Amino acid sequence: MDENYFGSPIRKQIFFFIILGFFSLQVFQLVRMQLLNTDKYEEKSNENSIKTNIINPARGLLYDRNINLLVGNKASFILRVTPDHYRNSNTKKIETVLNADSGYVDQILQKNRKYSKYSPRNIMRNVTNEVISWVDENKDKLPGVDYNVQTQRDYSFGVTGSHAFGYTKEIDNKALSSLKDIYSMGDYIGASGIEKTYEKYLRGSKGKEYFVVNSRQKVVGKYKEGREDIPPQKGNDLILTIDKNTQIAAEEALTDYTGAVIALEPQTGEILAFVSAPEYDLSNFASVTSSDFWDTLSSDTTKPLFNRVTMSRNPPGSTFKMLIAFAGLEEKIISKNFSVNCKGGHRFGNRFFRCTHQHGYVNMTSAIERSCNTYFYQLILKLGIDNLYKYSKMFHFGEKTRIDIGQEFKGLIPSKEYYDKVYGEGRWTNGNLLSLGIGQGEILTTPLQLAQYAALLANFGKTKTPHLVRGYIESETNRYVPLEYDSIEVNISRTSFNVIRKGMYNVVQGVDGTAKWIKLKDIEISGKTGTAQNPHGEDHALFIAFAPFDNPKIAVAVIVENVGYGSTYAAPIARRVIKAYLQPEKEKLELFTSN
Amino acid sequence: MKINYNIKDKFDVVIFLSVLVLIGVGLIAVFSSTYNHPTAKGNFNKQFIFAIVSVILFFIFYFLPARTFRVVAIPVFLISLVLLIAVIFFGVTVYGAKSWMSIGPIGFQPSEFAKIGTILFLAHWLSTPKRDINNLKELFLTVSLSLIPILLILMEPDMGTAIVYISISLVMIFWSGISLFGIFVVVSPGVILFASLFGTPMFLFALGAVVVALFLFKQDLFTSGTVFVMNLAAGFAFELILKILKPHQVNRILSFVDPYSDPLGSGYNALQAQVAIGSGGLSGKGFMQGNQTQLRFIPEQWTDFIFCVVGEEFGFIGSVVVLTLFLIVFIKLLNLTSIAGDKFDKLVVVGILTLFFVHFAINIGMNLGITPVIGLPLPFISYGGSSLITNMILLAIAFNIFKNRKYHT
Repeated sequence: MDENYFGSPIRKQIFFFIILGFFSLQVFQLVRMQLLNTDKYEEKSNENSIKTNIINPARGLLYDRNINLLVGNKASFILRVTPDHYRNSNTKKIETVLNADSGYVDQILQKNRKYSKYSPRNIMRNVTNEVISWVDENKDKLPGVDYNVQTQRDYSFGVTGSHAFGYTKEIDNKALSSLKDIYSMGDYIGASGIEKTYEKYLRGSKGKEYFVVNSRQKVVGKYKEGREDIPPQKGNDLILTIDKNTQIAAEEALTDYTGAVIALEPQTGEILAFVSAPEYDLSNFASVTSSDFWDTLSSDTTKPLFNRVTMSRNPPGSTFKMLIAFAGLEEKIISKNFSVNCKGGHRFGNRFFRCTHQHGYVNMTSAIERSCNTYFYQLILKLGIDNLYKYSKMFHFGEKTRIDIGQEFKGLIPSKEYYDKVYGEGRWTNGNLLSLGIGQGEILTTPLQLAQYAALLANFGKTKTPHLVRGYIESETNRYVPLEYDSIEVNISRTSFNVIRKGMYNVVQGVDGTAKWIKLKDIEISGKTGTAQNPHGEDHALFIAFAPFDNPKIAVAVIVENVGYGSTYAAPIARRVIKAYLQPEKEKLELFTSN
Repeated sequence: MKINYNIKDKFDVVIFLSVLVLIGVGLIAVFSSTYNHPTAKGNFNKQFIFAIVSVILFFIFYFLPARTFRVVAIPVFLISLVLLIAVIFFGVTVYGAKSWMSIGPIGFQPSEFAKIGTILFLAHWLSTPKRDINNLKELFLTVSLSLIPILLILMEPDMGTAIVYISISLVMIFWSGISLFGIFVVVSPGVILFASLFGTPMFLFALGAVVVALFLFKQDLFTSGTVFVMNLAAGFAFELILKILKPHQVNRILSFVDPYSDPLGSGYNALQAQVAIGSGGLSGKGFMQGNQTQLRFIPEQWTDFIFCVVGEEFGFIGSVVVLTLFLIVFIKLLNLTSIAGDKFDKLVVVGILTLFFVHFAINIGMNLGITPVIGLPLPFISYGGSSLITNMILLAIAFNIFKNRKYHT
């Protein structure tokens, strides 16, 4: 081989091309890494060294219609454990300090095991300052243990409102998987009442704080001096329709009873008071809900978790008589002067349908005033089931009110089809109809429907969908944004209203009124007593009312379960609620002097 | 003796300035990677002193008389071997290799300084008049002599440095005009040994390939038989080596086969180095602004992974500047091999160039993830006194050869 001699040019060239080849390969690789894939490496570099700290926003507050605070926030410490660098040998110590059962920490870690081991788990909320100082002092011995400050609900403003406000709870795994863009593990989410419906107004948006960490995950400073940080956006405050004073009065009035009170502003459908009794203490939900507390509530025979306002279904009793009367007048089946001689009841076939008294001759107004059953037995026989159904629907019975919160039942208004289905065609008689004429039998209504009915009676057939939230204060702009609700109108002549409202006036103001003893000197309350027959026990007492008569500002429905006659128990509760709303100062004064 | 007043004729300013800039870049990178470090903070000052010392030594060696290096070649090589043996017995273990020696207060790595002796000795040996590298007996002798420092370094064990020695020896033999068959004779036992690392089937496969190659070279039966026996011996030598070495040394050699499974986590380091360089982008994150560097994601970054400080903080532009400076140094040294005086001078320059280039190629390669992680410093840039001083002395020898090239013509 000619080239096999010392330092031949070909050997030099080989060396030259090896040098050039390596140089080109390195430059090529630099182009690929630094110019074409910079983003990829930058992301990895940032993942390495930037730690994101989520700042939870404060939840929006709940104010009453006069901007009195109903539900607030307070800061609380949450003890957290991050599985990645947590040492299981510390579990025992933590459980001792937290006063928790053995296995408590493991149970929480086990429950969330499918989430990233780098994200912290909330072990206990609302821990004491002693626990926090213990964590601070033993930081080095407790890797993966830290605490975070979070706002939690504060219910110390004198109102219970358990069913209206509702509670928040830690988001469950199922909800989390579908909403992982918005929530992360351990976040609280509205679970009932206003908290649930208005979750997206209340929750606000999370802030992000970026820290630079070294290779041992130790924070060494703020990323870009905090210029990239996103501040948390507080949730929007809600302005409720609730009147704090009225709500408190209603809650107090129902303290010893099972039942519901609901008060509306007739013109707007705004709910002034919303109480389902018994209530429960919302603050027990604010910390991690102990299963004990939940079990107690669930197994309580008085069903405190049950929202009676929208879900309890009972016959409306005599409160339904105005509706029957409207049907008679509007369908021109009777005139307002139509009268009946009450001899203590009405014989139909071989059955005798009883009245409460022998009222003698009664016309429409006095039949309402004295709640004469006989009058309405006769009237319903003239009307027939179709008219009853028609007018019930006109007053929105048998359908949901579409209130903004909670689960709601629509109740039941029997129709011809309903009876045909239940009893078979032609196998039911007008005997079934007689009970319906006095609001008993198969008819089922909710307290909220009765309140809406009272509002329609008060305001001559006009109101709006009942609701608990007037609007919200947008936290970004601090601007008040009102919410709109649908109008409801019942097409009934004013003359009919005048006749029937006169009857309701007399219930309280008249000499023979069934609730004349709740009469007040300075507020003209109008109303109607009722008794819902209850096959399971004592009857439920009902009272619907509005006041003042000439220019109604409040309409109320009250149901007190298992106490009997409506006038005795339900009517004074309605009066107390009305007084609290119309004469707040006087009501306070009376409370003061009676004490 | 004619005095030449043209400095360009005696001193290659371009190489010298390039190297000074590289040393400067190294100081900047060492500063950046150690400034926030709790224990390595003093390294910049040390490296600064090393730089000054190395430049002084550079000029001392530059001004030495022309014949000095061929005179001292054999003594320096013998001293180097003594030091390499001594370090095996008295050395200090650093990063798994017994490579450090202390004489009084000064610690140094004999395998660094032995580079000078080895290059000078091999150049001397190969430039001896009438040396015929294509004579199988002489080739065998040459390879055996080259293997002495290599085996000693493998016993530390320092695989990276051994690779440098192997490369230097191979290139210098190559430069001496070895035939293709000669290259085959030298390289094939190494290939067989390497193949045995992967087990008997690979060994047998490689041996089969050697037989086929021998058949194709059409050498006489005696020569072919000798080479075959050599190869067979290399395969069995592996078994022997495994028996002699202690288990942890065996493991270290075996882990070389798959550097990414290195228990010390060199795979992790390589990945972090790539993240650092890639995230640097076009112009880098700025001096002292690289988060990978400043937050110490790459351990001991100022040594073997110093290039990623440049890549991260000075970006593509900074990286290419550094690579280009190296390219200039290499091309100019390669040209020097043609104009240098005699065979000895030429071989010395080839050896020096090979040394710089192998360090450069492997070091940059592992920083960029294109070669395995083999612990070799980047010449002139990585922190380390022994390496910097050795490299500057070697450069001075090349400059001395450049200066004196005309005495031989």
